[in-house]
Amino acid sequence: MSDDSKLWSKTISDVNSEILVNLENPHPAYYVALALSVSALLVGIVFVALHFTYGLGLWTFRPPVYWEVDITNFVFWVGIGHAGTLISAILFLFRAKWRNTVNRSAEAMTIFAVICALVFPLIHMGRPWHGAIWAVPLPNTNNLWVNFRSPLFWDVMAISTYFTTSLLFWYMGLVPDLASIRDRCKGFKRLIYGIMSFGWRGTAKQWWHYEAGYGFLAALATPLVLSVHSVVSWDFAMSIQPGWHTTIFPPYFVAGAILSGCAMVYNLLLPVRYMFRLEKFILPEHLEACLRLTLLTSTIVFYAYSLEFFVAWYSGNPYEWALFEKRAIGPYSFYFWVMMFCNCIFPLALWSRRVRNNIPVAFVICVLINVGMWFERYNIIVSSLVEDFVPARWGHVQPGLWEIVITLGSFGLFTTFYLVFVKFFPIVSLSEIKLIMPKPLSSKAHGGAHHHG
Amino acid sequence: MANTQSPDTGIIGIFRHLDTVCTAIEKVRDRPDFAGHEVFSPTSYHEIEHASGFGASPVRAFTLIGALTGTCTGFGLALACDWDWPIVVGGKTAGIASLPAYVVLGFEFTILLGAISTVLGMLVMGRIPNPKRRVLDVRTTDDRFAIFLPGAQLSSPQAQFLRDCGAEEVRNT
Repeated sequence: MSDDSKLWSKTISDVNSEILVNLENPHPAYYVALALSVSALLVGIVFVALHFTYGLGLWTFRPPVYWEVDITNFVFWVGIGHAGTLISAILFLFRAKWRNTVNRSAEAMTIFAVICALVFPLIHMGRPWHGAIWAVPLPNTNNLWVNFRSPLFWDVMAISTYFTTSLLFWYMGLVPDLASIRDRCKGFKRLIYGIMSFGWRGTAKQWWHYEAGYGFLAALATPLVLSVHSVVSWDFAMSIQPGWHTTIFPPYFVAGAILSGCAMVYNLLLPVRYMFRLEKFILPEHLEACLRLTLLTSTIVFYAYSLEFFVAWYSGNPYEWALFEKRAIGPYSFYFWVMMFCNCIFPLALWSRRVRNNIPVAFVICVLINVGMWFERYNIIVSSLVEDFVPARWGHVQPGLWEIVITLGSFGLFTTFYLVFVKFFPIVSLSEIKLIMPKPLSSKAHGGAHHHG
Repeated sequence: MANTQSPDTGIIGIFRHLDTVCTAIEKVRDRPDFAGHEVFSPTSYHEIEHASGFGASPVRAFTLIGALTGTCTGFGLALACDWDWPIVVGGKTAGIASLPAYVVLGFEFTILLGAISTVLGMLVMGRIPNPKRRVLDVRTTDDRFAIFLPGAQLSSPQAQFLRDCGAEEVRNT
């Protein structure tokens, strides 16, 4: 308790007034960021529209690498979406206090990242309007049901469950905060926020059921977090392709996803903390905790990369080893070494407390981690696919203009959603940050506490 | 006129401190003249939950039933499709369900329906949305606690009792 009081310069009475006032009046940098995001999104939309009109031939991929950047982006965005539910669910169960300041931001990030991920299979279909029929368990024209033994179908189920559960979790967390905004507004705005908050009144009974339900949602979401990227990894690991067919994939993918997600939380939180003047609420201690988690997952990823190489060598399988050799010193070595340095070597700097507390340096390391994680997916997918079982088709593939612009467009989609969200909803959970601040006790209780302490 | 009275009419005592309101809750909890009172809090302090004497929330039954329904639905869907039109792989006998592959589907449905029914449980047990009830004091979603007693008057002994418990303000709603 005494540590908490030293940490905070604000009381719970400041939370609503200061956080919500800044919603209405962000720093001008906010509008610059929004304009950049919307521009990237619009360029992406134009390129996708041309792609739907003229077909997949515009892209530079060639058989046997059909999925190239689409699946790379899909896996990348699903990975980003991981940290959100990790922070809100697993850290909730562990009662990690720092999560209360960053969970809203991380959950919003999850929702928007999963939306970005879902866009890529649709883009890749070329005729996405058919996707509705292919993706759901309906008998097709051959009177067959979908193949429930296919990892691709598992993936559809895993991602849609993850999206729905994360959405429910995020929205239930928002309900009491929407009621707080409602109680500060008048007229039409009050009505809208009132409807969105389901008429939340904040009675002790409501909080009682809310807390219980929130705990159960966290308990349900915890195995879900670990399962989603495991299922995504089975898209690869269930095949017999060298470089993919390994049992280490599920934990390796989950650790990588949490690494990129935590780095992205940091990258998103810092600008928002500045634009909405939240320095007194999102404290350096909370940011540092996020970096510690990033460091932890980075070391797990480092271990997974090393183990993958060791097993490729130790297994004595010449095809597996040839592929790993090609990754490290062959035509894809650029992608490989970017991945190694960004995900494993640069984050080692976070062992130093000085680096963790140096916000610009930590920010750059987190950006590099996200670059590295994108390269990791590209490296896994393309270097394995490009030399398949028909040597006549072997060749070299690298991203062209279309791939790069649509990837940047997806970043535009993500940041546009995120920036619009932070403008209309509190990016720090009002009700949850109050819980980790010093409790509003009377002077009598304070006296008692000192006496006992 | 009494039976047309809104459920929101009564007196409300506003409290500033958590310990004061908890002491008040413990006192009014079992008093017959405070039957039907409601406590308001800006966030979910466990002290209030303990003072109110709440046990385990019935939301857990919603979660359990939803999750089990999900498990049955997931496995049931895969098994029913398998039974309707077996996909024979490698000449293996049709009719022997490949259950390990269906664990993924069973698991995902468990979580999905469990989560949906948990949220429904939170709404049903919390009695929201309810357009008939209104907000009694906007400060209770900010930084104040409150105890509301429906049907009471400002001059009643209950109002004085709230003042004695340390309410910083008692007023009509």
